[in-house]
Amino acid sequence: MSSKILLNYSPEKAGKPVIASIIKETGIPINILHADLTPEGGEIFIEADAEKDRIDEMIELFEKQGVRTEKITRGIILDEDSCLECGACVSLCPTDALQLTKDFSIELNEEKCVYCDACVPACPVKALSLKKKKL
Amino acid sequence: MNKVKKSIPEINNRIEKGEAVVVTAEDMVDIVEEEGEVEAAKDVDVVTTGTFGAMCSSGAWLNFGHADPPIKFDKVWLNDVEAYAGTAAVDAYVGATKPSKEDGIEYGGGHVIEDIIQGNEIKLEGEAKGTDCYPRTEIDTLLTIEDLNQAVLCNPRNAYQRYHAATNSRDETIHTYMGTLLPNFGNVTFSGSGELSPINNDPNYETIGPGTRIFLGGAQGYVFWEGTQHNPKDNLGTLMTVGNLKEMDSEYIRGVTFQNYGVSLFVGLGIPIPIINEQVAETTGVSDDEISTEVIDYGTPKRDRPELKEVTYSNLKSGLIELKGVERPVSPLSSLKKSREIAETLKELIEAGEFSLTEPHERLSKDREFKPMKQLAPTPVAADLMTRDVVTGSPDDSIEYAAKAFAERGFDHLPIIDDENELTGIVTSWDVAVALGKGKEKLYDIQTSNVVTSLEDEPIDSIARKLQKHNISGLPVVDSNGKLKGIVTSEDLSKLLRR
Repeated sequence: MSSKILLNYSPEKAGKPVIASIIKETGIPINILHADLTPEGGEIFIEADAEKDRIDEMIELFEKQGVRTEKITRGIILDEDSCLECGACVSLCPTDALQLTKDFSIELNEEKCVYCDACVPACPVKALSLKKKKL
Repeated sequence: MNKVKKSIPEINNRIEKGEAVVVTAEDMVDIVEEEGEVEAAKDVDVVTTGTFGAMCSSGAWLNFGHADPPIKFDKVWLNDVEAYAGTAAVDAYVGATKPSKEDGIEYGGGHVIEDIIQGNEIKLEGEAKGTDCYPRTEIDTLLTIEDLNQAVLCNPRNAYQRYHAATNSRDETIHTYMGTLLPNFGNVTFSGSGELSPINNDPNYETIGPGTRIFLGGAQGYVFWEGTQHNPKDNLGTLMTVGNLKEMDSEYIRGVTFQNYGVSLFVGLGIPIPIINEQVAETTGVSDDEISTEVIDYGTPKRDRPELKEVTYSNLKSGLIELKGVERPVSPLSSLKKSREIAETLKELIEAGEFSLTEPHERLSKDREFKPMKQLAPTPVAADLMTRDVVTGSPDDSIEYAAKAFAERGFDHLPIIDDENELTGIVTSWDVAVALGKGKEKLYDIQTSNVVTSLEDEPIDSIARKLQKHNISGLPVVDSNGKLKGIVTSEDLSKLLRR
């Protein structure tokens, strides 16, 4: 089962190879979906594929190393009532989570979304929003 | 000689009897291909078109009625958005792109128009000098569409026949009226509905002209002139349109904000094309494969932007086009689904006898020219003010070398070049000060390698914008191969102003 987790780095942890050491320790393949990290700290958004208890064990290791974690469930919302279906968002989406169907409707496939926020400010009618929700 | 000839009254007669054959412009493509234009002209009476996209050159005339005592507005604001009050006392024109005073581009003229249609309360504020006949100097009130005597959507330029597709060569994201354009040709955007676009179906203006009744924002409106910047010779025709805001539906008129660019108005517009002869049948048979446009580099801050490639609307609507050897994702900025829906709705209205056709009172120009602005002096470009004799460094030079150069020559920027004179980085006097504090040795260790540069023919307005945007004071000037040609600094710009 794949889980999406947002890692929050403090300035002290920003330069440390935390992810590498945890991959090494747990053997869980971790995929970085999006990173916004500077020497002042920041966020890395990861996807990890493992059983639930192993994911929990991995989360515990992150916390132990001083990296705050958030399990993300429902992240992006498309308000279909206000959407113009203009398609301004689709070419900005790096993972094809937003696509135009054959009849030119906008289709949001949340599974593919990496919450990079490229589409949200570009929507001319603010029909897209990001919501981070903890489990 | 025409093989088929039908008059508008004849077609209207058939509409009235419920006998008219009405198809959308998309359906007509196959009909003309299968039957040929002559048979198609016999069989089909009306072809409906549709488009729904950002039409910045739009706005509404409003009349508020007279206050007591009366006022003649010098300035007027609707929900904090200034409207043009330079006509009679209580008339005003709210333009679609005007941002509000407080919220800027997050709320503007386009949003005011949408709010008016929705029947929402609008805050009206006005100022005046006061005259003997209009003594009042201020007004502050709330009103809705019901309180307006007239509310008329009146758009100087709508229904662009087609439009250029946009991409961006720069290594930074740019925000334009063509939407967000990713760096290094990362995406392409386009506008217009291709084979559904009204003028593409009657590019000879045989049926579209002043007096043509159209579907505008959910109501029945009219074409009343050629649009501004009408450029029929380049297949960039436009229309001036008018319609009663009071009858419109906010489903088809939406205020929008293009990120970091500005406000606009999405306008839903459809034109019925009466098939009066086989020539018109033929033009309504046009398909997306036959409508081409150029992909333009919006990363170039000049009027005449480079054309990178010619593509068709079929290519664009497929969602991917090849550019510089890579498949690029494409965004339509017009809603193609809604465009189709407008053509369908117009078809149903005509079939139900609720929409009859009109004859244009005169023909629109087929050879109007679109001239550029006459300017008294050409805008200076980088090459006009750059320093050509630039002191440069190489990555292996010592920091002392840079410090000495800055101290002796009195400048602040040291471009770093390789053996081929290609720019690889820049070092500023500030970098050197910091480096000395940290004990670094080579310029390689302290140079900024992601350098913001200018091309030789870049206008000074663009240079000023880059300096301001990146909070820097100098730009190396390079040619298209990245070779250093000079340097231009904020100092050079100030000198220009003092000249």
